[in-house]
Amino acid sequence: MNLNEESLQKIAELSRLKIDPKDIQNFLTDFNKVLNYVDTITELNVSSVSDEDLYPNEGNSLRADKTVEGLNRSQIESFAPSFQNGYFVVPKVIET
Amino acid sequence: MKELWKLKYSDIKKGLNSGEFTPIELAQSLVSRIEAEDSKIKAFLSWEKESILKAAAESTERRKSGNPLSEFDGIPIGVKDNICIENTITSCASKILENYRSPFHATAIEKLLAKGFVLIPRANMDEFAMGSSTENSAYQVTKNPFDTARIPGGSSGGSAAAVAASFVPVALGSDTGGSVRQPASLCGIYGLKPTYGTVSRYGLVAYASSLDQIGPLSKDIDGIIDVYSVISGKDQRDATSKNIPAFDPSKVKELPWKGLKIGKMKITSEIEPDIAKAYESLLAELESKGAQLVDLDFSLLSNSIPIYYIIATAECSSNLSRFDGIRFGQRKDPSGKLEDLYVTTRSEGFGKEVQRRILLGTFSLSAGYYDAYYGRAQKARVLIKKEYEGYFSKVDLILQPTSPTTAFKVGEKTSDPIQMYKADILTTSVNLAGVPAMSVPIGTDSKGLPIGLQITAPALHEDKIFGFAKMISDWASKVELPETIK
Repeated sequence: MNLNEESLQKIAELSRLKIDPKDIQNFLTDFNKVLNYVDTITELNVSSVSDEDLYPNEGNSLRADKTVEGLNRSQIESFAPSFQNGYFVVPKVIET
Repeated sequence: MKELWKLKYSDIKKGLNSGEFTPIELAQSLVSRIEAEDSKIKAFLSWEKESILKAAAESTERRKSGNPLSEFDGIPIGVKDNICIENTITSCASKILENYRSPFHATAIEKLLAKGFVLIPRANMDEFAMGSSTENSAYQVTKNPFDTARIPGGSSGGSAAAVAASFVPVALGSDTGGSVRQPASLCGIYGLKPTYGTVSRYGLVAYASSLDQIGPLSKDIDGIIDVYSVISGKDQRDATSKNIPAFDPSKVKELPWKGLKIGKMKITSEIEPDIAKAYESLLAELESKGAQLVDLDFSLLSNSIPIYYIIATAECSSNLSRFDGIRFGQRKDPSGKLEDLYVTTRSEGFGKEVQRRILLGTFSLSAGYYDAYYGRAQKARVLIKKEYEGYFSKVDLILQPTSPTTAFKVGEKTSDPIQMYKADILTTSVNLAGVPAMSVPIGTDSKGLPIGLQITAPALHEDKIFGFAKMISDWASKVELPETIK
């Protein structure tokens, strides 16, 4: 199958990505090449695979219910782009 | 100064333990080698001479006082830039994490430090481990030490080139679809993708969580066995970690030639003739020693790249959503609106290949396409696992070339993503099945470029791979690592 520009833009929006308008044709060409290549899987017969095969019951992998040391505030502050008074700072999201 | 950088891993270990030289002498020799030659290879994104020499000096003191942390104390190890080291930049060769300093060690790193290994970060890589040539790094292209006009393979190309160029005797890479084995093959060294779940992924920046696995690269088999024995074993911090102890090196034994059943593949037109010749001549030699060759039908595995790309990109789309400019790394905030912050940060921070894979993953997970692509790929993955179970009911090991080509030229495949993806055509099925495989050097082509053999075993049978690799070590010794770099 081939995606058109509108569909690609929709997927980019869902991915929180913006494709530069001057790159869009190249991106679309490359993306469709890849899509056509992986498209071969739509022809594979997978009817023999059951849900049990797909989600084998290997049991839960749970840790003991114990408190362990995590990152402290100064460590978080050191790698956060913007951090104030114990909070990550983001642009205003509520209009007043 | 002694040219200790020339030594292979096993000689380095022997020399340190016999007192022939000290960790600081060794580190100084390697640092000089890196200083002199890395401008031609560009294996490292950055490296801190002072911290390497400080760690080596501390190791020297421990050895002098008779209290080494282990028999490995003072052995230098290169580290790929997607494995977290506390207070060290872990950028994944991406602009989006340009200045990100990890606040913690990966479990594999903790284990290596506990044994006294001297860390040499940050080996270059394809951005977020996405690529087969190390040309997708946001910072630099790593060159193949055998021919600097050529690529070292990817995505662990920095780690592989660092070992082949004798900057380090051993290094850590990560393998999602062949990213340890393919560069190992193209650089004439050993590279292991362990059984999924045997090495903790805690602290390995995720690309595709159900496929990623940290693995060692080394100039000799002993380096692989030792590092794997140190980094493997159950980790409470990784829910996909198997409940098994660390690998016991005493389990490695040479196998009896007589009756050894080896699965082989039919050579296709995609395999370069020199590689096919080296592979066929090795098989003929093995048969003459008493091994039994069994033809296997790999027709399902020929679909593994499409299956791999659907699953890997779906997981990548999900994993990389955490890079939004809020909590990590870079932030671009052009308009003061939250949505623009996300979009601009990610669009400027991720390179083209990463963006392409995020888009493909988002597409295959989106309503209307999920069943046809992602759902179907997951079912096809089960068939691949079953295919391997069927093979291993008939044979002890499977042998294939690791890569269909030897190292290609820089820029040769960058304009065609499909040609680049096909570089991993022989390796991706191993990740889908979760079984272990290792690339071993077995010769060179007519241009003098290395050829690798991929040895695949049933899950948790790394011991068979190692035993067999020792049995064919004569072939590996034919590949001379470059002392001086062209």
